[in-house]
Amino acid sequence: MNNTVKAEIPYQLWQQAQTLVEQGWARNLQEIINEALHRYLESHQDILTESFIQDDVEWGLHGDD
Amino acid sequence: MNGDYMETIEPTLIVADAGPLIHLDELSALDVLRDYSGIAVPDAVWMEVLHHRPQALEQTNVRLFRQTTPPSSAQIKAITSLYTLHHGEREALSLCLSHSINTLITDDTAARLAAKTLNIKAHGTLGLLIRAVRKNFRTPSEVLSLLSAIPQMTTLHIRPSLLKDVIEKCRIEWKDNL
Repeated sequence: MNNTVKAEIPYQLWQQAQTLVEQGWARNLQEIINEALHRYLESHQDILTESFIQDDVEWGLHGDD
Repeated sequence: MNGDYMETIEPTLIVADAGPLIHLDELSALDVLRDYSGIAVPDAVWMEVLHHRPQALEQTNVRLFRQTTPPSSAQIKAITSLYTLHHGEREALSLCLSHSINTLITDDTAARLAAKTLNIKAHGTLGLLIRAVRKNFRTPSEVLSLLSAIPQMTTLHIRPSLLKDVIEKCRIEWKDNL
């Protein structure tokens, strides 16, 4: 199931994305937005955040700097 | 916990992202960074902190200095895109690489991930607060209070149950000194 969202995109970003489409690097704007969202979500996963915090706590407690 | 120990200054330079500077200052605990010989703050991060928490930059008990960042390398540009980093995080990583500084303080997951990719150590507000006990800058009780105050006093977002687990872990570690 797909959802439709309405969002404002800064002109410069939109223009850069359009250029990529025109040059054939992406099929359309939607593909770029999906890919960008996918990458953002991949790099901001809960499990990663939690893992970094636990590492940090361990370093805080026992690290040798 | 000041006792009569001699406080040492680590000959260590680190680079700061905005998060820990803002969050530690919100807790009036920026001084936990006082043993670092210098804390380089890239231009974009400086401007971000200036916008959100200007008083953090006025602290005299830590050695913050503003640092212009050279143009990002192709590697940094690629990593910035891959991990969807902001200007400040990009400049912070650039500064680490250009000045061979191998510690970044940041609370951003993507920035930590990018730092790991570049073999740069990354630590955040929680680790720095807990380290303050190891460095004798704060007592265990003081740090437990600061950790508990994070949701009310700071703009740092952390899942409540995870914070509770962290506090409990510290409480167990420090049980003999509470």
